[in-house]
Amino acid sequence: MKLSLTLAVCAIVALAADYTAGERRHWAFQKRSVPAIPAVEPAAANPIDAFIRARLAKEGLQLAAPADKVRLIRRVTFDLTGLPPTPQEVDAFVNDKAPNAYEKLVDRLLASPRYGERWAQHWLDLVRFAETDGFEYDTHRPDAWRYRDYVIKSFNEDKPYTQFLTEQLAGDEIDPANHELAVASGFNRLGALRKNAGNQEVASSRNEVLTEMTNIVGSAMLGVTVGCARCHDHKFDPIRQKDYYRMQAHFAAVQEREVPLTSEAERSAWKAQKDAVDAEVKELKKQMKGLQGEDLSRMQAKVKSVEAKAPAPLPALFSVRNDYGENFKPVHVLHRGEYTKPGEEVHPRSLGVLLPDGAPELGPEVKNPRTELAKWITTDDNPLTARVAVNRIWLHHFGRGLVATPNDFGRMGQRPSHPELLDYLANQFVEGGWKWKPLHRMILLSDTYRQSSLLEVAAAKEKDPDNKLLWRYPKRRLEAEEIRDAMLSATGRLNLKTGGPGVMIPVQQELIQLMYKPEQWVVAADQKEHDRRSVYLIAKRNLRLPFMEVFDSSDMLISCPRREASTHAPQALELLNGRIANEMADALAARLTEFSAKDHAKQVDFAWRWVAGRAPTAEERKLSMEFLASQPLREYALAMFNLNAFLYVE
Amino acid sequence: MEHSRPTRNRREFLTDAFNGFGALAFSSMLQAANPLAPKAPHEPAKAKAVILLFMAGGPSHIETFDPKPLLNELSGQKRPAHFGEAKYQFVSKDARLMGTKRTFKKYGQSGIDVSDLFPHQAKIVDDLAIIRSVQADMVVHSAAQYQLMTGRIIPGFPSMGSWAVYGLGSESDSLPAYCVLPDPRGALEAGQPMYGNGFLPAIYQPTVLRPGKTPVLNLNLPSGVDLEDRRKTLKLIRELNEANQGFSDPEYAARIQSYDTAFKMQTEAPKVFDISTESQETLDLYGVGKATTDDMARRCLLARKLVEKGVRFVCVVHGGGPGDQQWDAHADIEENHPRMAAQSDQPVAALIQDLKRRGMLDSTLVVWGGEFGRSPEAEGGKGRDHHNLGFTMWMAGGGIKGGTIIGATDDIGLRAVEEPHHLRDIHTTILHQMGLNQHQLSFLHQGRRERLTELEGQVIKKALA
Repeated sequence: MKLSLTLAVCAIVALAADYTAGERRHWAFQKRSVPAIPAVEPAAANPIDAFIRARLAKEGLQLAAPADKVRLIRRVTFDLTGLPPTPQEVDAFVNDKAPNAYEKLVDRLLASPRYGERWAQHWLDLVRFAETDGFEYDTHRPDAWRYRDYVIKSFNEDKPYTQFLTEQLAGDEIDPANHELAVASGFNRLGALRKNAGNQEVASSRNEVLTEMTNIVGSAMLGVTVGCARCHDHKFDPIRQKDYYRMQAHFAAVQEREVPLTSEAERSAWKAQKDAVDAEVKELKKQMKGLQGEDLSRMQAKVKSVEAKAPAPLPALFSVRNDYGENFKPVHVLHRGEYTKPGEEVHPRSLGVLLPDGAPELGPEVKNPRTELAKWITTDDNPLTARVAVNRIWLHHFGRGLVATPNDFGRMGQRPSHPELLDYLANQFVEGGWKWKPLHRMILLSDTYRQSSLLEVAAAKEKDPDNKLLWRYPKRRLEAEEIRDAMLSATGRLNLKTGGPGVMIPVQQELIQLMYKPEQWVVAADQKEHDRRSVYLIAKRNLRLPFMEVFDSSDMLISCPRREASTHAPQALELLNGRIANEMADALAARLTEFSAKDHAKQVDFAWRWVAGRAPTAEERKLSMEFLASQPLREYALAMFNLNAFLYVE
Repeated sequence: MEHSRPTRNRREFLTDAFNGFGALAFSSMLQAANPLAPKAPHEPAKAKAVILLFMAGGPSHIETFDPKPLLNELSGQKRPAHFGEAKYQFVSKDARLMGTKRTFKKYGQSGIDVSDLFPHQAKIVDDLAIIRSVQADMVVHSAAQYQLMTGRIIPGFPSMGSWAVYGLGSESDSLPAYCVLPDPRGALEAGQPMYGNGFLPAIYQPTVLRPGKTPVLNLNLPSGVDLEDRRKTLKLIRELNEANQGFSDPEYAARIQSYDTAFKMQTEAPKVFDISTESQETLDLYGVGKATTDDMARRCLLARKLVEKGVRFVCVVHGGGPGDQQWDAHADIEENHPRMAAQSDQPVAALIQDLKRRGMLDSTLVVWGGEFGRSPEAEGGKGRDHHNLGFTMWMAGGGIKGGTIIGATDDIGLRAVEEPHHLRDIHTTILHQMGLNQHQLSFLHQGRRERLTELEGQVIKKALA
């Protein structure tokens, strides 16, 4: 009976099949396999090595010899914490002859609060986190930093990934009174936001907001470019335009919400003060009409000084809520994506190609649609979520994902280099409760991760020039934040204070003048704040620090799954003549002098150990000594920050 | 196990290091690794370089290149219904049409109308293809500026300049391939992201040249460091980098080479930025030294010098900071436009004349325009609001047919009614003149082959020689 009913349903639905069998066949939409661990000789203790070595063997290749301990600790410390190991840490590791010395090192790093700061940055790139609106006014979001701190904390706690995603998608629905969940759901409004004076294009702005909310879930969580189906059926992937708008319908009720952290009395006092300033400004602007030349500029200055009296915004949580009141507008399929051409009304439904044909939409009675979406995304057998997540971990340890297009697992994306390994890791991840740290541990303890990067094998280069199969460890250039943080660390100035509003550090006046509202840049008064880790510097969309920009930092506008690692002359100019590099060179020189006033040999040794993480070779020492015999120490310090030995992790 | 070794030893490198930056063998070894090496265009190119003269804030077509006698007749009345609807940022539905106080005359052999705001551009009208039917999608500055620069109304996409360098590489090893010369009076609404490389790698990013003697950030030595010391520091950097195990690795080698380029930029670029070596006659042509024009004159002259030295794309911005320091004439068009025109007209015309007499105009495409035009309706009695349905841009040089008028707006300058050209047609034409095909010039980004034009644009054939 049951079977025949199912058949009957199938028969009806088949008439209106949402997706053909061919469309559903794409590898990433298939259930994860349970791959057998390949047998390799000699046997591999770590399954990762079995998969990697089996694939290498097919090409007649093999893993490289293990990296030396000095390089290994620098590699793993940067990878997990974004910071270099101190010389003491290097010594302790090198001298630890215990067989589990490396394991202990990995565990120590995973437990370090620095871990969350580093891995949060990857997530923040992905969700294009910023503390300003972007566009014309680039208005600051004075409470957005709480989301950044939430992400750091979540990584440090090794919060299950499913919970992490659910809280961000639907924290406010789950418990509107919970502050941490309110902050997490601020995720839904991280996109750039256009505001303008004059006539408001309400419908078009709302369309942009909904587009941002929908597309980021596709890119960051599902690794599918759903956004391509906004104007028409997806050209390459089986995503119908209608299904795009059904996805968007989960967000139809979402509105901004500021959760106050102050009392009613404080808020009304604040409002009174603000209203007074606004009224005064309005009056002045009235008087300004028709003024010209000096009179006008005098008046403009006066307006500015009055505006400066406005009270600082009160603390609040940057969050969202569902509003099914009169603001609520159901989602329609938009012809060619144009908000002026609404078609059929649709209701929430998750990605159709992964649902049975004819799967129903959520009815209007469902008032927590994002919770429902989160449930679907985080079910153990969602074929995309776990694969996409483990691929990101792999990517940040090896510089390239098993799927080289981390935000696109669709047909335009690349196929996995090691499909069985990808599924194996995803299965492990799910079975282990969706926790990141055990997965890091498995990867980092593998021979694959621990092999040397220095090997040059002609045959391997010929067969696999891009090292996709990992016949050596792929050395990498430090990312922008790592370079700055490592400089601060070497100078002894790094301020490890955690959390709080994004810090504005001094920048060239010319850059401030290139801002539409230069007064937005308020340098932190406490100088120690200028030496905070880069993850705590303000993420301002219209003023990226040139230092960060030149080293390929994310632009905070579009999801950035992987940083480029470009090499070009402006980077050299930044490190030779830039403000940050020179300030750091002075600080390092001062530290070297403090360490040893005159002994060049000691200074050289100290500098190398702090900057490159190792002692200099005989030749490096000789060249350094020759230089210092006639040249200033601060130039030597500057040179150190320009070395490949500093800028790359081997 | 084979270890690959470079064919030349380290000492030989050192000999070359600071003697003319020869290292030819070295650079040929890097050719593949240098993404800025010049690339062949898809099709034969007419223009090697582009200068975009960006009139920020949106100059009025009605006051400049698009005479509308009927608008003067209807001045003070409501827009007759048959002209259709328009959406503005500020002007409300009951706004009244406003005629222009400018007078137009026909100039050149082509007899093209130019208003009395532009006496200098009137002289070069036979070199211009004036497109009177440009359309864009947005009436707010930020989104409209993004669309003009990147083809998209949201930030995060690569600008024209970044696309051009991505497609063609750089002809100069001592200057940045893509330069933006902003107006020192301040930033524009769309901010830095509008000029940016978006998701293209950072090598395609713009270099913003600031006013003054040291336009490029970080090109000057920090104070207190002398050049001789710095030379030795650079030598040390090279020696230590080459002493490093595996220095022959292409990526390490590329970084070592980037220091040569940086040093070359540092020593040679300032010569290009120095306009004092130009003849007095040239300075006068642009209006350098004349209070009104000096600022824009310097930028236009610098644009020529940059292109002369192989820079691929230059964006010269006129207007910046508060709206009344841009072409954004909300309050009083008769106060704003004559002032803005006086600052820019002579330098703009001089740039065309100078390029022409140096034989550079044929290979340099110059494009003039704002992010939109201005409304036929009055705003607050004397101003004009933003307007995207029909406005004017012009092109010159680089295979463009001078003395041409393309398209037309209706009789009140509201809407492009003949041969309308969306901004993407402007983009397509710019690419086309550089020998770049809008479809081939693409970058796979998160599952989409992204292009400057997004949708298909048309080459404006009528504008081509």
